[in-house]
Amino acid sequence: MTDPHAPALQCQNVSVTYGPVTALNAVSTTFGAGLIHAVVGQNGAGKTTFARVASGLVAPTAGHVAIGSRIMRGGNVAQARAAGVELVHQSFALPPSFTVAEAMEFGATGTGRFFTRRSLFARWRPHLESLDISVDLGARIRDLPVESQQGIEIARALVTQAKVLILDEPTAVLSPSGIEKLFERVRRLKAQGVTVLLILHKIREVLAVADTVTVLRAGRLVDGPLMTTDVDGARLSRLIIGEASRGFAAADEQALTGAGTVEHTSTVGEAATATPVLKLSNITTFVDQEGPALQDVDFHVRPGEIVGVAGVEGNGQRTLVRLIADFARASRGEVHLAGQNISTQSLAQRRSKGLRIIPFERNTEGLSLTSSLWENWTARALLEKPLLRLVNPARLRSECDAALKAWGVRYDNVAQKAGALSGGNAQKVILSREIDPDAKLIIAAQPTRGLDIGATAFVWDALRKARDRGCGIILISSDLDELFDISDRVVVMLAGRVAGTFTAPYDINAVGAAMIGVS
Amino acid sequence: MNDIIIAILRSGTPLVYVTLAGVIAQRAGIWNLGLEGLMIIGACATILGIVVTGSVTLALLIAMLFAVLASILLWFVVEKLKANPIIAGLGLTGLGLGGTALAIQSFFGSQSAVNAPFGLPRLGPAFGAYGVLSILVVLMPVVVFALWFVLCRTRFGLQLSACGQHPFAARSVGVNPSTMRLIALSIGGVLAALGGAELAAGSLQFFGQNMTAGRGFMAFAAVIFGAAHPLGATLAAMFFSVLSAIGIRAQLVFGDSVPHDLIQALPYLATVFGLWLSSRLRGGTAGGITELRDD
Repeated sequence: MTDPHAPALQCQNVSVTYGPVTALNAVSTTFGAGLIHAVVGQNGAGKTTFARVASGLVAPTAGHVAIGSRIMRGGNVAQARAAGVELVHQSFALPPSFTVAEAMEFGATGTGRFFTRRSLFARWRPHLESLDISVDLGARIRDLPVESQQGIEIARALVTQAKVLILDEPTAVLSPSGIEKLFERVRRLKAQGVTVLLILHKIREVLAVADTVTVLRAGRLVDGPLMTTDVDGARLSRLIIGEASRGFAAADEQALTGAGTVEHTSTVGEAATATPVLKLSNITTFVDQEGPALQDVDFHVRPGEIVGVAGVEGNGQRTLVRLIADFARASRGEVHLAGQNISTQSLAQRRSKGLRIIPFERNTEGLSLTSSLWENWTARALLEKPLLRLVNPARLRSECDAALKAWGVRYDNVAQKAGALSGGNAQKVILSREIDPDAKLIIAAQPTRGLDIGATAFVWDALRKARDRGCGIILISSDLDELFDISDRVVVMLAGRVAGTFTAPYDINAVGAAMIGVS
Repeated sequence: MNDIIIAILRSGTPLVYVTLAGVIAQRAGIWNLGLEGLMIIGACATILGIVVTGSVTLALLIAMLFAVLASILLWFVVEKLKANPIIAGLGLTGLGLGGTALAIQSFFGSQSAVNAPFGLPRLGPAFGAYGVLSILVVLMPVVVFALWFVLCRTRFGLQLSACGQHPFAARSVGVNPSTMRLIALSIGGVLAALGGAELAAGSLQFFGQNMTAGRGFMAFAAVIFGAAHPLGATLAAMFFSVLSAIGIRAQLVFGDSVPHDLIQALPYLATVFGLWLSSRLRGGTAGGITELRDD
């Protein structure tokens, strides 16, 4: 068996820079063989870059990676794979039209370069069975649910005799029970002698599965590997957030780091009887290009209420947003905004009635990265007015400047391109545009994805303030801690239907069961 | 009946070779709109090769060499200079059409067509009426099968498809998409050269300016119609040829009652219809997947 003290993977002074950005800064660390190691940190801490350097996908700008006792050339996946390192990506890297068997074969090495359909099945069925993955080998990747895809991706990574398996944020897309199954699988791999590196960002998960934990912050190694038996959640939380940052409310801090169970106390009082700001009655949509059609969806949001939408990604959340934004058409049912039937109205008409959207993809749907900040910021107000109306750019620029300053956006001047901003600052520009005094219904779709802890807390505060002013808010997120922390009510979507509605105090097991359709 | 089958095979074979060139490029992730240019380079080099060297074998090798060099140029412009592959492909088509016209003018002065003393070897009288077909017609099913096997039944083929569909997936198993595209385009150059050679020297023995007459674009349409599958695209190409053979027949039968131009437009109309049909069947997801961002 593997010597538990032998190093499986070592980093020596590894730095990675992408243009002007330093993603990793002189990281040196050693991971022992035969253990489950967690690497944690905020978004932007360099975790994914770390995984990619270790697997040879990204070449370090300085320093080197050693696998076992061999120093890797850097930026050479084939060499890293030959040395036994495999990486499972956060957004899975499998060609969507491939069948399961083909997905196994295309990354295989060694003999057997030709195949028939039958020989391909015979070659890979035992491999999948040995990993306890039951799936039709002829099924296409694009037709599989996300949890099966992850199983396939792990199986793909194990087609060679992997000695070190790195999983980049494997839990981000899974339901709570999916996470439990994944951890079982990881423990079995450990028993077989595989060294596992898990990139995680929830302390609860780290403590549940890992033997050691390593903390990165802003591209630097903060501490680790520490034995998880020697640390507690509070200390890890401090290591991840950093001492210098401002204080967070206890519940927020737990939600930010996934350190414990989040307790939410509902603030909805008299608003419960008010006219809903959004009401979907018995909505069924046509099949949508970005997800399953909605089926018999009844859904409402009252003023002064944050409704969280939970669900494994791809279960109709995008269709829901597209329906409300008039990108997807309902075949049946009605959409009411502030008591008015808006089913046949255009997005512009809906926006003039107070609909605001913080979209899923902030860099493509939320901002025009090649346009200036003031052009991006003024888009809302300008589009509500006639197109031939004269504008005064100087005044718009100064208005934009004042608004962005009030929202604490860090920028040089309003003429700079939106693409030059960091994720958190770019999101603040969208917030300052979409959360205005006329907003009645705000859809926040994954508003904190990819943001660091400070920016995430900022977004939460902004949504809470809008709620307290009387806005209705829909928060779509795949992070249950986030949903539980700030939502007054949580609905779960599954395959285009509303699979359950929950109120605080939230039961993570019940919500998790609804996410995968187990009652 | 025999003569209509012969007509279909004669017009279909060049189209199939060029379609296969498009299929392999498409699978590797490059929309090759330079097929027209590659085909005419192959046609011109074959005829000039026969005239200059007097050997069909040497002429074919010269045609392949030029078409492969042109493909490598396309690869360089797309992969190394990061040009838009569609624009670069159209540029290659322009280079082929203009370059071949320039080539025959510099060899033969102001002529717009060049005759060769002989063409590709034919099957000969032993095959009866089919004896007029060239050896490339017989070779065509073999090449189709071989390409199907390589693309659909080998690990190399899967890796090539991965480069087209999800380049990041290919990179994460240690496959370099850029290298794979160079290989795919080079093989495509050989196939397009064969298509051009069959067009100019299979039943005819001459090269004329613009003699490909849009066949490269029709081949590209067959690639899309056939979902970039070697067998599907071959069937699509043969379907277009059948229509054009029927068009010629209809011209003889209907003669005056139907406008001549309309009948000649039939294969092209069918191409447009085929593209519409295939995008309906596949739900309009013909667009290529671009390389996923790294973060």
